[in-house]
Order: sequence, then C-alpha cells, then structure tokens
Amino acid sequence: MIDSHLVATLTQQFFNALTLGAIYALVALGYTMVYGIIELINFAHGDVFMVGAFVALAFLSTIGFTRSISDPLQLILVLVGTFGVTMIVLGTIGVGIERFAYRPLRNAPRLAPLITAIGVSFILQNVVQAWQGPSPVPTPQLLSPQVRFGLFGADIAVLSIVILGITLALMIALQLFVGRTRLGRAMRSTAQDREAAQLMGVDINTTIAITFFLGSALAGAAGIVYGLYFGSIQFNLGFFSGLKAFTAAVLGGIGNTVGAALGGFIIGFIEVGAVQVGLSRWSEALVFAVLIIVLVFRPAGLLGQQLGERA
Amino acid sequence: MSFRKLAATVGAALIVVGACTGSSGAGNGKGTVKIGVDLPLSGGEVANGEPTFNGVQLAVDEANAANAAGGYKLEINKQDDAKDGVHNPDQGATNAKTLVADAAVVGMVGPFNSNVARAIIPVTNEAGLAQCSPANTGVDLTKTGSEKYRPKNPNQRNYFRVATPDDVQGPAGAQYAFNDLGKKKAYVLDDTEAFGKGVADTFQAEFERLGGTVVKRDGAPKSTTDYTPFFTAVKGQVDVVYFGGTQVTGGGLARKQMVAAGMGDIPYVGPDGIADLGEGGAQGAFITLAGVDASNNVHGTVAGIHDIPDPAAFAAKYKAKFNKDPGAYSALAYACTQVLIKAIASAATAPDQAAIRKAVRDYVFTTTNKFDTVLGTISFDENGDSSQKFISFYKVDPAGAGGKGNWVFVKQQDFATTQ
Amino acid sequence: MSAPARRRPGRDAIDRWTPAVRAFYEAHRSISIFVGTAVVGAILPIVVLIPPLSGFLPQTVWVDTFAGAGIFVLLALGLNVVVGLAGLLDLGYAAFFAIGAYAYALSASSFTNVHIPFWPMLLIGAFVAATFGVLLGAPTLRLRGDYLAIVTLGFGEIVPVVFTNSDELTNGTNGIAGVDRPTLPGIVFGSSDPWPFYIVILAIIALVLIFLYRLQNSRLGRAWMAIREDELAAASSGVNTVTTKLLAFALGASTAGFAGVFSAGRLVFVSPDQFGFTVSFTILAMLVLGGMGNMWGVALGAFTLFIVQSVFLKQLTNFVHPLGLPIISNIDFVQYQFLLYGIALVVMMLLRPEGFFPNVRRRRELHQAAPSEGSPEGIDAAGALQ
Repeated sequence: MIDSHLVATLTQQFFNALTLGAIYALVALGYTMVYGIIELINFAHGDVFMVGAFVALAFLSTIGFTRSISDPLQLILVLVGTFGVTMIVLGTIGVGIERFAYRPLRNAPRLAPLITAIGVSFILQNVVQAWQGPSPVPTPQLLSPQVRFGLFGADIAVLSIVILGITLALMIALQLFVGRTRLGRAMRSTAQDREAAQLMGVDINTTIAITFFLGSALAGAAGIVYGLYFGSIQFNLGFFSGLKAFTAAVLGGIGNTVGAALGGFIIGFIEVGAVQVGLSRWSEALVFAVLIIVLVFRPAGLLGQQLGERA
Repeated sequence: MSFRKLAATVGAALIVVGACTGSSGAGNGKGTVKIGVDLPLSGGEVANGEPTFNGVQLAVDEANAANAAGGYKLEINKQDDAKDGVHNPDQGATNAKTLVADAAVVGMVGPFNSNVARAIIPVTNEAGLAQCSPANTGVDLTKTGSEKYRPKNPNQRNYFRVATPDDVQGPAGAQYAFNDLGKKKAYVLDDTEAFGKGVADTFQAEFERLGGTVVKRDGAPKSTTDYTPFFTAVKGQVDVVYFGGTQVTGGGLARKQMVAAGMGDIPYVGPDGIADLGEGGAQGAFITLAGVDASNNVHGTVAGIHDIPDPAAFAAKYKAKFNKDPGAYSALAYACTQVLIKAIASAATAPDQAAIRKAVRDYVFTTTNKFDTVLGTISFDENGDSSQKFISFYKVDPAGAGGKGNWVFVKQQDFATTQ
Repeated sequence: MSAPARRRPGRDAIDRWTPAVRAFYEAHRSISIFVGTAVVGAILPIVVLIPPLSGFLPQTVWVDTFAGAGIFVLLALGLNVVVGLAGLLDLGYAAFFAIGAYAYALSASSFTNVHIPFWPMLLIGAFVAATFGVLLGAPTLRLRGDYLAIVTLGFGEIVPVVFTNSDELTNGTNGIAGVDRPTLPGIVFGSSDPWPFYIVILAIIALVLIFLYRLQNSRLGRAWMAIREDELAAASSGVNTVTTKLLAFALGASTAGFAGVFSAGRLVFVSPDQFGFTVSFTILAMLVLGGMGNMWGVALGAFTLFIVQSVFLKQLTNFVHPLGLPIISNIDFVQYQFLLYGIALVVMMLLRPEGFFPNVRRRRELHQAAPSEGSPEGIDAAGALQ
C-alpha cells in the first residue's frame, strides 16, 4: 500500500510542479523578453503580473461571473473574454510604463532605470492596495479545482491541465510571433544589435513598445491563471512571485524565451520537491543555491549564449 | 523650475509653517496626557496594524467623551514601526525613544510583532514607561529569560500584555485536537514567522506529550503561494491539520487549497490568527479567504474568554465609528487602552507628567488591581502576563450568517489552573 | 548655474578665505576629512533645534536618528566601493550587514555567554564580513553584469533564510537578544542618552572616509575604475581582475561589518527580519540618489534618504495634524509612504538620474552625449526631457 501510495503522491506532486512551473514560466517570459531587448531588469514586471490578476478580478466581477461555471461553452467564452480584456489592458499599462518611466532613461547608467523600475513597483503596489485593501482577496475559480480525473491513483485537477494547456499555447504563440513575423524579426534584431537594426530601418521605439506590450500581456495572462488556480490574490504577491520568475529567466539564460520557460519549470520542481522531502523552510535558499551553482558552471544560464564582452 | 529654486521654496515654506506650529491644545481642566502607540501602519502590515490602532482610538475617544481619565484629556502619539512595508525593530526602538522623550506620554500600546518588542522593551524599561502589547505572544518577553530585555532596570517591570502567550494557546489547540476531536495523527504547518512558529512548536510538543503523532512538520515561508504540494505530501496519512500563523500569512489560502486537494473532511485547527471571528464576506476574514465551502470543519482557539460583556456590542460600536469590521486584535488593543486609562485615572492627583507616568506603571503592576475591560475582568501577574488564561474554542458554521459563514462558540476553558 | 552678476561683501570674505582653506585641504586631506566630519557632527544637533525641524522630533531623538543614519552612511560607502568604484552590481549587500551584526551578537550576548568587548569586535566583525565578501564574490567572477546582480541578490536572500532556520545556532526567527552594549570607563551607552553612540559612529565614519579616500586614489582604486569602465581593456593593461574584484567585495563588505557590529550594539537585538531585500535596495537607492562613484555624494545621499524615510515620512502626520490645515490634516501620510517614496524615486530618476552629486564623468555622459542609439528622446543639456 505504501508503494502505490507513494506513486500516487509523486504523480500528484509532478502535476503540482508542472502547474506551478507553468505560472512562473509565463511571468519569466515577460522578464526575459524585456531584458533581451533593452537589458533592463524590469522589477516592476512582477507587479504588472499582480495588477493583471486584479484586473481580471474586476472584469469578472463586472460581468457577474464570480463562481465556478459548469457549462463548458460558457466557461470557454468567459475565459476568452477575460484573457482578451486583461491582456490588452495590461499590455497598454506596460507600454505606458515604458514610455514614461524607462524610455527617458535609455541612455542613463544601468542603475537608473533599475531604481525607476522599483519606484514603479512601489507605486503599482500602493495603488492596488488603496483600491483593494491590504488583505488577501479571494478570486473566482471559474473552473473548480474539484473537477478531477484519476491517474496512477492520484487525483489530478482538470484545472491543472487547462493551465498547462494555456501556458503552452501562449508560449508557442509567442515563439511563432517572434520567429516568423516581421515584428518578431524586428524584436530579435533589436535585441541583437540595436544600432545595426536601426540602420536596417527598424523603428526602435515601436519595437520596444511592442515588446513591452507582449511581455505585459503575458504577465496579465499569468495573473489570470494565478487567480484561477490559487483562488486568492494580494497586492504584494508580485514581489515574491516576480523574484522567482526572474530567477527562472536568469536560470534559463536571460534573453532566451525557451530558457525562461525551462527555468520556470525547474523552479517549480525544486519548490515542490523541497516540500515533499520536508525542506520547505529552505525553498527560497534552495532556488537561489541552484541558480548560483548553475551560473558557476554555465555563466550565461542553461541556454544562454555567452556573448562577447560588450564595450 | 530649477532644482535649487525648488528646494529653496520648499525650505522657506517649511520654516513658515513650522513657526506656526503651536503646542497641542490644552485639555479641559487638568491638561493633556498622551497614550503612545507603536504599530506597523504602512505597507503589507497595515492589515494588522490599522484595525489594532482603531481599537486604541475607539477607547480614547470614548474615555474623552465620558471624561473617564481622571480629568485629563487624552491624546494619542502615533508611531509607525514599519519600514519599507515590513515591521522593523530598529524603527520600533526609535519610535520608543520618541515616545519616551515626549513627557506627555504616560503609557504606550504596542508593538504588534514580538521582534519589535524585543528592541523596544530595553528602551521603555530604562524610562519606566508602562507598555501594553495587544498582540505579542513570545514567551520569553515576560517569563524566564526576560531579564535580557531589561538591562537597565532588571527588577522593574514595565511591559505587560493582554495577549495570551504561545505556551497557552498552542497546547490548548493540541488538547482540543486530541481530546475533543479525537485525532491522533497531525500535520503541523507554520508560516515561519515568530508567532506562527512559536504557537506551532508548543502545539506539537503538547500533542506529542498527549500521545499523538506529528506525521510531518513543515514551514511555509511568506513567499509561498502554493500550498497544494504541502497537502499532497501528507494526503491519506493524517487526520488533523494545525496551522500556526494567521489568515493573512497563508492560513486562509492553505485551507482553501487543502480542500481543493481533496482533504476537506480533515479538520483544520489554528490559533487566534485563524479564528478571527469574522463573518464570511468581511474583508480579510478567514472565511472570506478560504471560501465558505472550504471553511467547514475549521476550528480555532481564541485567547480570551467567551462570556465577556458582549462581543457583538464591541463589534457594533467599532463598525459604527470606522465603517469596517473589527480586526482580530482590535478588542485586545481596546482592552490595553482601557487598562492604561484606568491607571491614568488613578493618578488624578499626581503633581506632574513624570509622576503620572510612574503612577501608571505602579498601578498596573500592583497585582491586586483589577481592570474591567472588553475581555472581562483581568489583572496582571508580576511578570506582566494577564491573569486571564481562558481559551475559547470556536468552529466555523458554513450555514451561519445567512449562508455567508461565521464562527460559533464551542466551549471555553480556563488554563490558569493547568499552568 | 551662472555666476552672480554683482559681487556682495559677504561673498568677498568667503572668496578671500576659500583659497586658504582649499590650500590646507589639498595639503592635509586626512586631517581635513576628520575635521570636516567633526564640524558636521557638531552642527547637526544644533540645526535640529530650529523650527520646523524641532517640530518633528525632540533633540535627543534626532541625535539618535543621526546615529541610525550613520549606520546607513557606512553601508552606502561600502556599497559604493563595490558598485560605484568597481562597477560590480551587488543587489544583496544587506547579507554582509547581517553577518557583521550576527558575528557580534554571537560573540557578545547572553545567548552564547561569550562576551568579547565591543571595540575589538568592530575589527573582528569587519574581518568576518570581509571573508564572506570574498567567499560570496568568488563564484561571481566569471559572470556578466546582470548575472552578477542576480547572484548577489540570491546571496542576499540566502543569508537571512539561513539565520531564520538555524534555531540552535542563531535562535531562528526570534533573533538574539541581550546583546552587550559597548563599554568605556565612565561613559554609559544606554537607550536614553544618544550622544556616546553618536560620537562613536562619527569617529568610525571619519576613519572609513579617510581610508576610502586614500584607497580611491591609490593603484587599487584606479584598478577598480578601470575594471568598471572596460574589464577587457583593464585585464590587457595588466590589472589582475580576480584579486581586484575580490578586494572590492572584501573591502566593501568590511564596512558593512563595521555597520553591523555597531547596529547590534546599539539595538541590543538582532533578528533575520532586519536584513531583507528591502534593506539592500534602500542602500542601493541611497547610492544612486547621492551620486554613484562619488564618496561624498553617497554619504550625503544615504543620510538624506534615511532621514526622509525615518523621520519626515513617519512624522509627517504628527507634524501636520496640529496645524489644523483644512484638508491636509486629515490625510494619513503614514499609509501613503510607499506611494510617495515610489513617486519620488521615479521623479528623481527622470529628472536627475546621475544623482545629487555625481561623478563629473557621469554627468557629462548623461547630459551632453548625443544619443547614438536612434532614439530622438533623451535628456538634453538643461536636464529636461525631450
């Protein structure tokens, strides 16, 4: 009985890790995209993710869906609507932040936009705190986590699979966009060499704005997913989750979108693994320890490319 | 406008404004005394600090209206010990020095966090300022080992509290889980903070002493968002879960995810951080966070007597004044203030503010003095701990409050005899 | 900043004395620094007796706050070595602060029953912190700028977690209390009398300033700046990047060690929650606001930011309330601290990203260079946004 019980537990934990990792991966994508293009550690990104969760909550309250929905068609419609609205709103917010807080500092010393990013982070947190209060707020779990199916004796929530599906779909969409479209090519070339891209006729400002739009929209999507899965959000959730997501992006090689996703899943597995073996108190330290060890052996992250020393 | 001009204008304006700052208004008759407050009032901790502060404000306003402070007018000197959104012991110590330096302050309420208290008590002890904490539960603050907090005057106590220390509440929960609920295999989870870990430690010790087994003991740091893996790891192996912490540090969310993981029929027990007695729907209440459906089978201990003069009346007048439901520590802060006010009233004939301060401290620590407070009639022992060691047990009734869910009283127990 | 059109008598006097003072300063730098610190230290307690400053806090608490600010001045000076001089972006500097504080708490408290006196512990604590600076810096040697940042951030998170979870060694989240105060024959270091602590921190700051000033102009200092500007070129010129970087970490950490020991001796209590990421970030903000690379700017920036955070923002409500102004009196500024702080940071960076007292080179970089990266926006010579 112990053996099959252990298998069931580990299967369950596997899916827990995948789901958690997926959420980190979604947020990490935004970090890595922005970093790739303007080499800015956008500390406000975690808070953009938090705002996304709250915007989704506001939207759902406004259209009146605050409990789980059993009709699949209705569920899909509501989800699509929520994702659409939230991602657009968040994308706009992201572009706004870039335009007013980061663009003027594009040529400033490295630290200035970093400080600004944290300033923006504080502002976002405070605004949301004033709006929704400092306590955690429950979010509607449109697809109830109680809907489950069995696998190897474990009860897997359908919600987990849905989240994984959404994450994969978004990641693939992003890869296709960056890899196949003109705008995507503009983004890649700007990331590689801004001056050369300019010489080739790329409009840097628009390209960067689009990058921020996409990154923030993804953060918004992550926020929705977060609310759906965990069922509770708070004005300061951006800080910790953002930090872990950023670590994921670096772990995978910052600037590399596949790396960011990989990093997100790795961190999800580390955290869940730590809980399973009773080391949950050390999970923060473990995540960073793994990062440091990886960076010692692969200084540019797992999938990052060691670029030449920039002048 | 150039930087320099801007700075000069602001500076000039400040000087003008500052010169107009008069002293605080004179009271009716005998002048003003102040009650100092040190609580975390900004950032993430405002959810703890603000309702607690409101308890003090309510008591002060009532006393002023009824002239119940021996003829003195009461004011509050409010200090925030949160820095960058987190309670900061250093800031707390600075605040304590500010309060101590204000001669009109004759007593203080606070702090909220035990770690801040560890930095503050040396300061207030040196000044002999009576200090009442509504929320500190660290055992070493008053009991064995507390001398290190009183380096200047080791034999003079000035710190007292109305909150029940961890060494009562944790074991109370353990006895309830083992005897009343009849559970033998526990999973203990704490939020790694001082209060949560402290009460979880004492729960575990008592539960094991009674003969139960703690199958797994975990800590979920503040950064934890997903409690599902925690419960997955113990599913099928435990029959009761104890959460050391508050609903804000994860207690509500953990229960919600525990139920989502399929363990809803396993009882969930917690200290007064969980049993905030708030109705479902109230902002920040446990039932709101966990959801009504998940709150079934949730039990909690409250460090206080149940048969007190009307908890509903307190909640009503709090709500009337602040338009919100009271927080978990509002009544405790209110009680602290009541104690200080009674002590101030006893010093009606004191010649000056320094004498009032001394009289207040002496009055509180005269162990025969009793105080009628919203928590009942209490007095303080020579350590500064409240005589009231009642623990009340509550559980959630999901059908209560018209389906929104509320807490119902189960029983109360006096632990004074079992210490 | 244009010169005044007319000369005034007072100006004449200043102009006459200035060259003499300057000559003295040029010849005797160290003594000047010492004297300067003493003068500033003497003026500050007097300045706070003037309204409106006197309305915020009584003098004793002001002086005590200055001692607290002094701790952060030390921290900022140390971080300036790592980030400002050597160009190594360290986001977890508070870890060294924690190590210094815990080193003292473990060597001088009732928790361990070891009681090494404060004064030798200052040096020992600094040395222990420096050692950890080397240990934590070593894995970062091969990393590019922002990877280095995230690793240091990681260390900044790991150290408090280790302290929190090591119950037997460090008493975990409840911290170590009963830490010994400094002792000197005849002088009492207590909570009510801020002056002894104030004078001690001034002395430490003066010594550190002198030391860092000498260091900055030495070969090592120039090596740091070379690495900051272009590591490859520096290495090609014969600079040993490994030892240079490790020395930056070590010396930067040692200042934090001083600050940690002093802080523990003053608060008589250490706990892991005093050393989180927000502390690291605050020190960094002080650096940027003050003017990175410029020791004096950094010290001033640290002092100013600390006073703003600890006094003005906190006491604003208490200060404004008795004035009885119509709407403003009802605002609870305390709750909006974060918002104000965030807005101030953003505004500051937009208007003056090089800090209050920047390195001359930085200012030139920011205000005169025509941006070559294709964006027509930037900051023109007058400091205004395009």
